Amino acid sequence: MIQINKTPMETDVLVVGGGIAGLMAAISAAEQGVDVTVAEKANTKRSGSGATGNDHFLCYIPKIHGKNMDPIIKEVRNSLIGGYHDSPHTVKFLEQSFERVKSWNTWGIAMRPMGDWEFMGHAFPGRPRIWLKYAGHNQKPVLTKQAKKRRVRIVNHLPITDVIVRDGEIVGAIGLSIKNSEPVLQIIRAKSVIVTTGSASRLYPPAGSPGCLFNTAFCPSCTGAGQAMAYRAGAKLVNMEFPNRHAGPKFLARCGKSSWIGIFKDPRGKTIGPFVTQPTRELGDITSDVWNSVFTDLLKSGRGPTYIDCTRTAKEDIDYMIWSLEHEGNTAMLDYMDKEGIDVRKHMVEFMQYEPHLIGRGIEIDLNAESNVKGLFAAGDLTGNFRADIAGAATFGWIAGESAAIRAKKIKKFQKAENSALVKTRRRIYSAIIARESGATWQEANMALQQIMRDYAGVEVRSETLLGAGLKYLNDLKQHILEKLTADNAHSLMRCLEVLDLLENGEAIFHTALERKETRAMHIRSDFPFTNPLLAEKYLTIRKEKNRPIVEWRDKQ
Amino acid sequence: MPPIINAEKCNACGVCADICPTDVFHVKKKKTTPAIRYPEECWHCNACVLDCKQEALSLRIPLPLMMLYVEAKK
Repeated sequence: MIQINKTPMETDVLVVGGGIAGLMAAISAAEQGVDVTVAEKANTKRSGSGATGNDHFLCYIPKIHGKNMDPIIKEVRNSLIGGYHDSPHTVKFLEQSFERVKSWNTWGIAMRPMGDWEFMGHAFPGRPRIWLKYAGHNQKPVLTKQAKKRRVRIVNHLPITDVIVRDGEIVGAIGLSIKNSEPVLQIIRAKSVIVTTGSASRLYPPAGSPGCLFNTAFCPSCTGAGQAMAYRAGAKLVNMEFPNRHAGPKFLARCGKSSWIGIFKDPRGKTIGPFVTQPTRELGDITSDVWNSVFTDLLKSGRGPTYIDCTRTAKEDIDYMIWSLEHEGNTAMLDYMDKEGIDVRKHMVEFMQYEPHLIGRGIEIDLNAESNVKGLFAAGDLTGNFRADIAGAATFGWIAGESAAIRAKKIKKFQKAENSALVKTRRRIYSAIIARESGATWQEANMALQQIMRDYAGVEVRSETLLGAGLKYLNDLKQHILEKLTADNAHSLMRCLEVLDLLENGEAIFHTALERKETRAMHIRSDFPFTNPLLAEKYLTIRKEKNRPIVEWRDKQ
Repeated sequence: MPPIINAEKCNACGVCADICPTDVFHVKKKKTTPAIRYPEECWHCNACVLDCKQEALSLRIPLPLMMLYVEAKK
């Protein structure tokens, strides 16, 4: 049997994942005077999709945007992150976003690196600009320091694998220590749990380089763990049926397309989009935000490939662009370009659309960032009814921390989470994986899952027959995985569990995609090729009850 | 593949192994140069390069991840 630490940890608030949302949740909960622990898969100083930086923070500053928030709300809804919001969440976020910006600036993250509050990128000509440009290269070490200053206990190399629920309320969580080669389970008793594990990468084959599982724009260690553990615990997931695809340089998958100040062109040098003829730091080419599939469409039509051409950009804007790519954490790409002699002043760089991943699809939260499971809170990339990337993680992370602390203060005693039946079941599954002397590696399982997702719940076409067949194959694969998966140490056991979490997310996608009988955004149903106006204001949720998925419609708020 | 440690510059502090978001490194024995145990799991985020005070680390971007470019039209 896998080892288990006989002494459970105790903490008022457990934060699962120390990314932007997690650290902000921890800081905010600690300010409420409760005892806080962050359990982090890697090290909070450099983990998650914001590991080495970011540069855009969606934010409403009344002094700049005006007292009337309505035009900004409208701009958010029409932006690349605004499609799947409940409106009250957007408003609450915007009301608090500037407070978070000011805190970050005080703590040492340069939120106005050029002196003034500057809004650049992801913007349309003649419309309000909502993305504050900042220099976030040090955001993770700074937030880690602020958390420690408030006596937050940070336990690195402790991924959480499940939350423990008793009588519909959170009582703790199961952790898997990967500090040493030998895996050790650690039970944590907690009064509130905040899951902030980020997006779900590695669910579909990498679009550019199918053999390279870790060539993902968002962090490949973010594997939908929060969504999966919440789903298993009875929490609702929402908007899972809608694929989301990011775009950026080919083949090195990177975030940050809006930092590139240039114009998208075809190989003959012809401009593709109608928005900009002279790119500037204030207004780059927003074509790929509006026409998400532009790079794929041009490639398939034979008119492509598509390049970004920065050669007409002013020298000072090129310097600004390179400076901002550094601060958003793209130094590996810049080093590579230097070494290879790729110079944006004379070369056009090809762009592509990446594989689908989950961001802004997942756990449904109320305005206090709580799920329908009492005491289970969520914030950041894994929430399904609100998304604002870094700014959303920071702001709703803060809200989640406050709410979780308020709940924890009302609860007098810790529950004996270690006695839960779930601990026994999970321990048995993990032990079986490490006891097998031969079998399927996590890589095999991950690739098998990816090919089913691509062919049967993909972005080109979906239908009742394809989704139905895919769901059957997914269940078959789950059985194979549970019977054959093998791991030889703590690290590979963690990867195995990541695949099981991804599989759970895949299952939710299949069930919801079957139920949404229309074509909307990138959910393309060949058997329902139209967009149904009657479903425009409806969200689809999925939850588990007695181990069976329940799919339900609700009105958009 | 991916991270490369210059053993002559490395002072075996273990920071790279501790901060890697994808747990690519392995420290078999404390105060020894870490091994690149899972090179295919590198995200190429540069965290190890940025945080190595000895400047002992560099990344090699694998061939399937090569960036594609052409001369711009005049």
